[in-house]
Amino acid sequence: MSCPAERRLRKELLELLTNPMPGIYIDEEKVAKNINEWIVTIEGAEKTIYEGETFQLQFSFNEKYPFDSPTVLFIGKIPVHSHIYSNGHICLSILTDDWTPALSVGAVCLSIRSMLSSATKKERPPDDMIYTRTCSKNPKKTKWFFHDDTV
Amino acid sequence: MSFIINFIRAVLDAMLELFSFGRKGISNKLPIFVKTNTGKQISLNLDPEWNISNVKRLVAPSLGISPDEVKIIFAGKELEDCTRISECDLGTQSVLHAVKSRSRSEIETKSKKCLETLFDDENVGDVPSKPLSSTLVDLQLKGEERRDSESNIKAKAHFFVHCPECKKLCRGKLRVRCNICKGGCFTVHRDPECWDDVLVPKKIQGHCESKEIACMSDEENGLPFAEFYFKCAEHGSGGEKDYAAPLTLIKMNLKKVPCLACGDISDPVLVFPCVAGHTSCLDCFKLYCISRLQERQFISHREFGYTLACPVNCENSFIQEIHHFKLLEKDYYDRYQQFGAEEFVLQSGGVLCPQPNCGMGILVDENCNRVHCQNGCNFVFCKICKQGYHIGDCLPESAISNNMSVSEFSVNPSRVAGARWDEASKIAIQVTTKPCPKCRTATERAGGCMHMACTRAGCNFEWCWICQTEWTRDCMAAHWFG
Repeated sequence: MSCPAERRLRKELLELLTNPMPGIYIDEEKVAKNINEWIVTIEGAEKTIYEGETFQLQFSFNEKYPFDSPTVLFIGKIPVHSHIYSNGHICLSILTDDWTPALSVGAVCLSIRSMLSSATKKERPPDDMIYTRTCSKNPKKTKWFFHDDTV
Repeated sequence: MSFIINFIRAVLDAMLELFSFGRKGISNKLPIFVKTNTGKQISLNLDPEWNISNVKRLVAPSLGISPDEVKIIFAGKELEDCTRISECDLGTQSVLHAVKSRSRSEIETKSKKCLETLFDDENVGDVPSKPLSSTLVDLQLKGEERRDSESNIKAKAHFFVHCPECKKLCRGKLRVRCNICKGGCFTVHRDPECWDDVLVPKKIQGHCESKEIACMSDEENGLPFAEFYFKCAEHGSGGEKDYAAPLTLIKMNLKKVPCLACGDISDPVLVFPCVAGHTSCLDCFKLYCISRLQERQFISHREFGYTLACPVNCENSFIQEIHHFKLLEKDYYDRYQQFGAEEFVLQSGGVLCPQPNCGMGILVDENCNRVHCQNGCNFVFCKICKQGYHIGDCLPESAISNNMSVSEFSVNPSRVAGARWDEASKIAIQVTTKPCPKCRTATERAGGCMHMACTRAGCNFEWCWICQTEWTRDCMAAHWFG
């Protein structure tokens, strides 16, 4: 029998494929090869500063999922946003401190999409240079300060 | 010739049939004990198809009274004559109690009762009724749910226990005894309706007939209280001292709620004590406990002990009954107990012996920095820096490793042979870790930023890897990432 993490991921995948969320697309081929690595494409929502752009998120799950949060980062073209570092790391509390097993891939994608939608200016975080030069490859190793809940 | 052979075969078949029938009859019998308040114990083999009046007829001669005068009491209820044995939730070697009825009028009501089988609310304690297992409503359901589901749940109330003998989750059964004499010959005045009725002492009163003189309490009406306890229903009864801890959060998944983690619908499930009632299957519950245990994220709760809250971080959702953690495999449960004990020592202001493979918990005098690991390895150390005991201020970290071998030698010569290996790992720990400035838990920084958060649940102190003091905005500005 597969481990609980895999069973959960299969359920989430099935749910997202049968009831797709607007602007969120799953790379089925990649997931079929390895259920623990997902690539999700996010479309910038209409009437926002990211309209017409698409971005790719990489999700990695360990065997403790969903009790442990997935590692989530942007790959390829990184959106310019005040909470997204140029190496793809995302400063979002539900990805570390506020993660709960009741959240899901869909919920994370929705949060990130709405985080993008609410931005009014395209700018990098103020500490982008120093952070990207010195941080760990794993964004979960960074202790984030969530200064601003409005964006 | 063939006629004779056929005849012999027929006779043989008939004998075989008789023999197997006889065996079947025996295996159907339920061996039980009947206890009287005069101290006698009778062992009986009951046929599940019999009813209570059969039992009375069997028991009456040994009590020296007529069968109508016998009262049969089991699990807090006096059983009525027409109740079938199979309805009573009796297990092998269960104990029934038989006593003499007090008055003639009681006998009259009893015989009338059996014909009417009406439920007389005013007088439940004194008149015979259905056994507790069939009158008891499911404690896991709340008032409304009960009404909704009454029609489709004909099954008995469900309890789950952790059985120390079977060493696993088992179906449980509820039993009642007197809170004064602990005797089982006790009838309750009303059925328990919720977990509190069962788990909180002194909620329901009753009559005790375990002894010839009824037990009396200090209450106004002088009646003793019912004391409820649980037994495992999956092994034969081991007598009156065979208890099992009730696992109140484990429920039958009557509502078919999917697990919050894996999404499967399983049965039974664990429902966390939060307002939302977040539900988890038992496998995911174990996974949750193990992942929190490995990160040492259990919380030492003042009332409940070393426990966890709902994984969705709901308010007031700590698991009160820590026997639920007995569901973990032995290795993990042992670790749970060890961490729990360590956390208790630390929270009571004690220290843990820093010697490798010792870790003895020591409660210390607040004003004294010299700690002696008296019942453990005999190491004498400083309460503040956890190094060998010294007079004066603690040495800076770098100087300690040189000093260490000397002090260790003088403290415990018998450890010298093992000292090299321990010393090697000690140096490794010193090179790769720094102690949390608040609780001294050795912390390893495996990449990431300089902002550390103590991994010990209950400490969670936020500190700076470079300054080794509390994390401040200045640290963030000067050396967040080194």
